[in-house]
Amino acid sequence: MDFYIGLLQVIGVHTLLGLSAWCILHTGQVSMAQGGFFAIGAYAAGMLTAMVGWSLGPALFIAALLASLIAIAIGFPALRVKGLMLVVATTAFAEIVRLVFFNLKWQVQTPNGPIGPDGGLGFGGIRYFPANAWSGFEILTLIWCLVAGVMLVLWLLDRSRIGTLWRAVGEDEVAAQSAGINLTAAKVSAFGIGGAIAGLAGGIFSHNTTHIEHGNFTILLATFAIAYPIIGGLKSLLGTLVAVVFIQGVLIEGLRFLGDWRSLLFGAMILAIMLIRPTGLLSAPLCFPQFNSKKNASVDDKKIGARHA
Amino acid sequence: MAWIDFLDLVQSVMDGVMFGATYALIGIGFTLIFGVMHKINLSYAAASVGAAYLSLLIVSVAPTPLVYLLAAVCGGLLGALIYFVCFKFLPLNQSLATLMSTVGMLLVLEEAIVHATAGMPQNYPALFADKVFNVGPFIVRGDLLFVFLLGCAVMVSLKFMLEKTRLGLATRAVAQQPIAAQICGMSIDQTNASTFVIAGFLGGTAGAMTGAAIGVLSPLLTLPLTVKGLVVTVIGGLGSIPGAILAGLIVGGAESLFQFVRGVSERDIYVMLMLFVFLVLRPNGLFAAPSGRE
Repeated sequence: MDFYIGLLQVIGVHTLLGLSAWCILHTGQVSMAQGGFFAIGAYAAGMLTAMVGWSLGPALFIAALLASLIAIAIGFPALRVKGLMLVVATTAFAEIVRLVFFNLKWQVQTPNGPIGPDGGLGFGGIRYFPANAWSGFEILTLIWCLVAGVMLVLWLLDRSRIGTLWRAVGEDEVAAQSAGINLTAAKVSAFGIGGAIAGLAGGIFSHNTTHIEHGNFTILLATFAIAYPIIGGLKSLLGTLVAVVFIQGVLIEGLRFLGDWRSLLFGAMILAIMLIRPTGLLSAPLCFPQFNSKKNASVDDKKIGARHA
Repeated sequence: MAWIDFLDLVQSVMDGVMFGATYALIGIGFTLIFGVMHKINLSYAAASVGAAYLSLLIVSVAPTPLVYLLAAVCGGLLGALIYFVCFKFLPLNQSLATLMSTVGMLLVLEEAIVHATAGMPQNYPALFADKVFNVGPFIVRGDLLFVFLLGCAVMVSLKFMLEKTRLGLATRAVAQQPIAAQICGMSIDQTNASTFVIAGFLGGTAGAMTGAAIGVLSPLLTLPLTVKGLVVTVIGGLGSIPGAILAGLIVGGAESLFQFVRGVSERDIYVMLMLFVFLVLRPNGLFAAPSGRE
């Protein structure tokens, strides 16, 4: 039972992470910085509860706020570039965050000994949940309430004017701009909201695992963050959830009986999904790979592809 | 700063610039593929390391130069494989789809390496490892010099290929204006595939050179090489080969410089900050790509 509760907790945290990337992908930007915002949230929330002694609620709020502010600050220079340049710029940002935490040593004395980030050894002893006698089930409930809340907010946003603006920018920047939409505002707001959600996810993550280190926040995590919405399909929020359940539940945990071969199959499954459903799992219309390349990529396709690249 | 410290500094920057030849090659590979397809192939550096691993198959029976040659050939084969698996059958207007499929390929390649070697680092043969040249007060390591010269040779032959052969002409034509190239009777599919093979040759050589310069191959090399390759591509300017070469050498040198000044654990922070400086001051890179696509 504990195993399944743990699995559902992981799925919840990763859903939040995926949703944070969904906001930004919605405006047509590919950001690898989500892992960085996640790390900022994780360290900030952990430091507030373990070192300052705050309770969880305010700590999570401050963590989300901080991640959001840093996302906005990073968004202004980074969003001047797009496409591959943005991928690389945000990758660089995520690596900088990870390396800063790798080098960060800042400990305070508590009755239980020194506590705080200890460079490469990581940041242990974020024991808010055990200290306040939260059961695994209660933590699970908290995580999924947050997931539901975030999904509701995003669902409402998507139906409001902001969601329409984001989608317009994502579909075609030039058309959106000529319709009078402020591109920078749309992109930076998506970055800020995405950063807040990633910071929230990070705060939950650090309290749930009680020990975090720089190795938790590599490029691989950022890749997963953008993989969920892409594999799930950008059209709906549920797609992200389905993709997280599929990747974390089926591919990572469900295939354990395969032993070593599991991780090999993992990449192959992602590849296969992109071949069968290039626009994501939950997106109409159903299309199958067309192995006749002439039909598949007409000249018009290539023109569009060239413009979008 | 004492004179001896200054000599050490110059020495480490020199070593870094020579090692930077491998970054330059990886950067050229990204740039070539981006040039013709306007797509990122994230599995490229993993394929390069994978090619170097494949060449280890004959390391016990063949002389070292043949091992390097096999690495290049395997790189080409892996490049073709990646093109057919990750690009050919995906709709080209879905730029996120190919991004994700190459990430899947990256994970497959990395895991295949871990699976085949049980995650243990493998020794990689170097040439001229025991040769040391003294240039004034500086020491030039023979194996690093060889890596640098091999990198230069590969870059020169790439330039020759792109400018003097029909294949190079087709590659440049497709990069510049795919529709016009198609009207002139060039097969886009064929050109794309051969670009992947050529980039794979470069990648395989880069993988072998990395192995030779470090002395070991490890699956842990793939992600840093991917990140450094992308950094080089962006600093040099997307689609610009001279830019990638210069940026590769700059990144290699800067990396050593920061490592000497600030230590190994903080080194990459400054390399990434350097990238940000470039993005702010020169968002198009050192050499902007030749215009004309649109």
